Amino acid sequence: MPTAIELIGITKRFPGVIANDNINFSVEEGEIHAICGENGAGKSTLMKILYGMQPADEGVMKVNGVEVNFSSPTDAIAAGIGMVHQHFMLADQFTVIENVILGSEPTKHGVLDFDTAKAHLANVGESYGLTIDPDDFVTELEVGERQRVEIIKVLYRGANILILDEPTAVLVPQEVEALFDNLRELKAAGSTIIFIDHKLQEVLEISDRITVIRRGKTITTVNAADVTAGDLAELMVGEELPSPETTESTVTDTVALEVKNITVLDEFHRPVVDDVSFSIHKGEVLGVAGIEGNGQGELVDAIVGMEKPESGSVWLSGKDVSSHSVRERRDEGFGYVPKDRHEEGLLLTAPLWENAALGHQTKAPYSKGMWIDRKGSRDRTDEIRERFDVRSPNADVSAHALSGGNQQKLIIGRELICDPKVMILAHPTRGIDVGAQAAVWNEIRTARAAGQASMLISADLDELIGLSDRIVVMFHGRLVAELDPSEVTPRLLGSYMTGAALQGGDELQGGDEMDGSDESAGEHTASAMSETAEGAQ
Amino acid sequence: MNFAQFQKLPAYLRWPVLAFVGILVLSIVQFFTDQQLLTSTTTIQTALKWAMPILIAGLGGLFAERCGVVHIGLEGMMILGTWCGAWGALQFGSPWWGLVSGIVGGALGGLLHAIATVAFSVDHIVSGVAINILAPGTARYLSERVFTQMDGGSISQSPRVESLGDFTWPILAKGPDLLGKVERLDWFLISDLFGVLRGLLFQMTYLTAIGLALVPISAFLLNKTKFGLRLRIAGEKPLAGESLGINIYRQKFLGVIISGGLAGLAGSFIVLELAGLYRQNQTTGRGFIALAALIFGNWKARGVLTGAVLFGYPFGLSLRDLEGTATRSLLLVIAIALLAVVVWALSEKNKADAILAGAVAAGSLLFFFGTETAPKWLPGTMPYVLVLLVLVFASQRLRMPAAVGLPYRKGGS
Ligand SMILES: Nc1ncnc2c1ncn2[C@@H]1O[C@H](COP(=O)(O)OP(=O)(O)OP(=O)(O)O)[C@@H](O)[C@H]1O
Ligand SMILES: [Mg+2]
Repeated sequence: MPTAIELIGITKRFPGVIANDNINFSVEEGEIHAICGENGAGKSTLMKILYGMQPADEGVMKVNGVEVNFSSPTDAIAAGIGMVHQHFMLADQFTVIENVILGSEPTKHGVLDFDTAKAHLANVGESYGLTIDPDDFVTELEVGERQRVEIIKVLYRGANILILDEPTAVLVPQEVEALFDNLRELKAAGSTIIFIDHKLQEVLEISDRITVIRRGKTITTVNAADVTAGDLAELMVGEELPSPETTESTVTDTVALEVKNITVLDEFHRPVVDDVSFSIHKGEVLGVAGIEGNGQGELVDAIVGMEKPESGSVWLSGKDVSSHSVRERRDEGFGYVPKDRHEEGLLLTAPLWENAALGHQTKAPYSKGMWIDRKGSRDRTDEIRERFDVRSPNADVSAHALSGGNQQKLIIGRELICDPKVMILAHPTRGIDVGAQAAVWNEIRTARAAGQASMLISADLDELIGLSDRIVVMFHGRLVAELDPSEVTPRLLGSYMTGAALQGGDELQGGDEMDGSDESAGEHTASAMSETAEGAQ
Repeated sequence: MNFAQFQKLPAYLRWPVLAFVGILVLSIVQFFTDQQLLTSTTTIQTALKWAMPILIAGLGGLFAERCGVVHIGLEGMMILGTWCGAWGALQFGSPWWGLVSGIVGGALGGLLHAIATVAFSVDHIVSGVAINILAPGTARYLSERVFTQMDGGSISQSPRVESLGDFTWPILAKGPDLLGKVERLDWFLISDLFGVLRGLLFQMTYLTAIGLALVPISAFLLNKTKFGLRLRIAGEKPLAGESLGINIYRQKFLGVIISGGLAGLAGSFIVLELAGLYRQNQTTGRGFIALAALIFGNWKARGVLTGAVLFGYPFGLSLRDLEGTATRSLLLVIAIALLAVVVWALSEKNKADAILAGAVAAGSLLFFFGTETAPKWLPGTMPYVLVLLVLVFASQRLRMPAAVGLPYRKGGS
């Protein structure tokens, strides 16, 4: 097979780090080629170089055998390369179609020609199964839909070499399965795909060959068929593949967090969180399962105080904190890891130590009296960087200089190091590599043993089952089931999440038939689940 | 019909309805306070003229902020516009040249701001303030070199310049003057409506027509063209644009230079149409009022027009209203508007806002009954008070460009 892409000796330095150090590998035409490596290994940087967003310091790139020199993404797009970035590159206040056509806008007499654009989009979308209204604003879309818009953006430009940087990080299993189906179709149609992912099972499932990068260097390229997840993990970090199983229960009798009858309405006065009540004890981890968009986000907002619920109350250690501000709740012992690190977690242009102080800036060691304590903050930041392995040159670089996974580790460290009484974790290990994931799980377990009450929301069902003492399922704004993680399988959990299990209990055991309305989604879930489940063993 | 339904109406229905409600309120107040001035042709005419610099500069602000650059330096660029406008008109002997040179002067200011903020990542506020300080000094220095050499010029003012001229709509506003006839009949509301309409059509200056035309032109450019789309991405999510091969620096430079050009045009408007000459400190903070109009108008061209008209109106009125009694009755208008806010807030179950609006309305009423004539400072403060009210009561509805004021570096480095 001819070579689609060849990278020879690519080197890229940033102040204080060598992101890519003499990278060599090639991607064949029509293959799905995965790139694996720890957080900060240099995967995203390499892809940005290939896409013309950043210049390489040294090295040669060949596309379809021809040496290329991209000075901007325009050149890469012209060469048939498209990229979906690790973090969404969508303007929230633009419509879908505006986001898609940007940079290659069709015009008629100088006016944007939306009709032509929509027709073309419909063409592309048809083969890809796009069901999004092109006139919707991106703010209104769910993450899965946003991800699809990103891919559509690439396809709209007619790219035949696709780079996908951690596209599955924000997706739930059935969405991942749908994405993989699409990728297989694209491959069958002759596209070449470069794919980055931290979930090794997924990597093995979708890719033909895998290139492993460690600390900026290419370690090796292997055939997916020849390796196991364990082999891959070892190649990446030199460790065994960890599993998120909790040891013995540490649940106590003391209630730490109690949520009573919370109802949140959307702008049309419909309930998005509908009369939700639960309590979490000290030393307990409560897992909240649910497909994104079933009210988890709004529930979390109501608990941490970012949104005022229509009715209901929140109690912390027997005290009603419903009327308290976010600031007060944090001071009283709430910790919070938000689901989107860029939207709510970090100030990207601020240095790490300021980011580490965020949300805790009124307390020691971040401040003394009314003054910010820079030295104290820096020391604390160094402590976080060390304990949570946040790979960064020092505490003064700005947050956007960190790789995605390291940004995530910084946020987790910031919250855990303050020992909150109640911890709200929304997708805590999103985008974190397998090694670091194990470390984070350990931290959560240690905190739990020390009496922390945690609420865990995660799209990673193995993580949810492995870490939780109890799992509740959220569906259409309501808690519809409570399950014991020692008895539930990812597959069963998945059927609860899609609502299939709620309509007829006995189908769950057999699982060969899913009920009514959500049939196809149910099937996807089932198959995705069984694969994940196998992977965990 | 409730508020949400009204919001869904198409714009060409919504705006006339709003304008009608506004005039209705004015007529009622006029009726009860026994006034003529609030809706008279002359008042509207003056108000419109006074609204124009605010409108044009506000549109300038729009172009800058939609591409992500905060534009506190509008005032300075207007000053450059006033000087260059007068100079061009005198040098080349035609007010049209004044117009052109005013635009160029402002655009140069914009270029400076773009170089500072876009190329060198200087903080936008710092650069804007620097331009506001630099511009009057530059104008004074240039006046000393140029205007003092001319007949009737001095260091602080230029010789007189001509206006661009005006036109009156035949039949409707002159000759048979149909609108005027109805206005003079003094029928409640009807005459007021016709008065306002006649004010728009009677002796409208060409430059005013240009200014009004700029509103749909700007909206069209921003929303319907490739240029506008790329400009807006620079203010919303520059990285997304960059990742599709758009040169964000270029968009920002263009946006800020256009913005300066419009501010310069606003400056020349003051010279050519309002004052008839260049005078030092002629802009009197209109650049800041234009920014207020931009915020009031929610970063949209039409909104800027509304803001400019609302802010220009008290000025226009106070110029006609020598005793200050008509301006006083504006307090009543504000009270009525605030009572409407109370009703709206109650319907949204927002008690705090309702109480606050009620309190301010009561204050405004007390003020109204406590005075015979309005104090001189009232028209000047009104824009700021209005913006404050909008920020207090409608801030959730305001949405500025997501990336405005943020530093941008290519490649995220
Ligand atoms: N703009 C930048 N300025 C400075 N350093 C940077 C910049 N971008 C990346 N780096 C550094 O380069 C290294 C590689 O980062 P990169 O984002 O490529 O990692 P990654 O392999 O994609 O990791 P992850 O799995 O966490 O996304 C990291 O050490 C990071 O801190
Ligand atoms: Mg990355």
